[in-house]
Amino acid sequence: MSQNLITEEKVFEELKKAIVETLRVDESSITRESSLINDLGAESLDFLDINYRLEQAFGMKMARHFVLEHIEEMFGEGTAIDEDGRLTDKAIELLKIRFGNNMPELQPGMDMDEIPAMVTVQSMVQGVMDILNSLPAACASCGNSAWQSDDGIKIKCGSCGDSATFTNGDDLIKAWLTKVQEEKNIF
Amino acid sequence: MNILKDKVVLITGSSRGIGRAIAKKCALAGADIVVNYRKSGGSSQAQAEELCTEIEKMGRRALIVHADIAARDSVKGMFNEVNEKMGKLDHLILNAAKAPFKPLEKLFERELRQLVDTNYIGNIFCIQAALPMLEKTGGKIIFISSLGSRFYNQAYPLGSMKAAMESVIRDCAESLRTKNISVNAVCGGIVKTDSFKVLRQFWDNIDMLPAGLYVEPEEIADVVLFLCSEASRGITGQTIVVDKGLSNAICRTPGGEEVRGKKDNLINN
Repeated sequence: MSQNLITEEKVFEELKKAIVETLRVDESSITRESSLINDLGAESLDFLDINYRLEQAFGMKMARHFVLEHIEEMFGEGTAIDEDGRLTDKAIELLKIRFGNNMPELQPGMDMDEIPAMVTVQSMVQGVMDILNSLPAACASCGNSAWQSDDGIKIKCGSCGDSATFTNGDDLIKAWLTKVQEEKNIF
Repeated sequence: MNILKDKVVLITGSSRGIGRAIAKKCALAGADIVVNYRKSGGSSQAQAEELCTEIEKMGRRALIVHADIAARDSVKGMFNEVNEKMGKLDHLILNAAKAPFKPLEKLFERELRQLVDTNYIGNIFCIQAALPMLEKTGGKIIFISSLGSRFYNQAYPLGSMKAAMESVIRDCAESLRTKNISVNAVCGGIVKTDSFKVLRQFWDNIDMLPAGLYVEPEEIADVVLFLCSEASRGITGQTIVVDKGLSNAICRTPGGEEVRGKKDNLINN
């Protein structure tokens, strides 16, 4: 269900905080369009650090694997990335559906190593919002629908006090891939 | 403490974590340091540069070399630069590592090849390229391993490469003995570095470990320092475990059910 307790702006604020702590960059240098790698100097280990901070803040789990890995896991090795490390047409088609305007540079034949640089602050904010929006209608512990948030960051049950649980990022990607495949039959 | 006075020590992958701690300890002990990092333009380079400044403030020389150990030309270039600018190499610390975090059976072919290219072949490239200089100084090679070499760890294919390298260390120690080069490894337990952030994401119970079982990067570095020193002259071909007793504390319950990282089942804490 789409939740309205945590705003996109709040997620952006928390993400900025995580980026500043991890990369020791000035907060004013972070915009929604900033590429984590190209503009802010992040490396793969830094992403995990940023993700961990977001997970601690919001009480959810970010995806451990990027959508390309999930494609190959689901539809077979070579379906997303060819032998030369280039993205297949089908992978591009799928990434365009997923990221659309957030990744305008996507084009068939591009090197897989170019993808991480396309991750922007905004695409990460969207990733967090997708997970937060997986909030179930009712609390798994007491069955009541009484979600609330005192600080606009953590959601808990107003009835029994338990923390909200969300679908983890990897499972969300898998569910999305399954749905898109059913609708468009790409692979 | 000047036990490494005027020695030249190269540490692969030393912008962060254990490598960085080793670089600082060796510099404090009087050595000149070659700092190596792989990825340019990002946080590794920034941290490597910062480390060099720190080393120079200690009054030691620091050479920063950007090289990917998985690429032979890159490795050759690095050791040529060390030879030209530092004039010699006394100790080679093989610390760099790079691996995906997922079970071995799920690795794609390119991931498997990268795993072997960096963590096995890359380390051997470094040993080969360093030999001419190490033969002159009667130097030492020290590999940084981890408990993944001998224990299962979720989503940790690097462990199998660590195991392979521990046997490389044993073999090289014998084949290089006549050249007066000693070869050893330090096998770390759970060390809180940037890589721990990765481990934390794939190992749910890890935060339940008592604080006393975590190893500090400096504790690994101290053992490396010992292995670089004259005091370790009787040791070669060995892997020394530095894990605060973690590997002895992992146990199975009497019922046979496997228990890992569960607080109640760890002894002595």
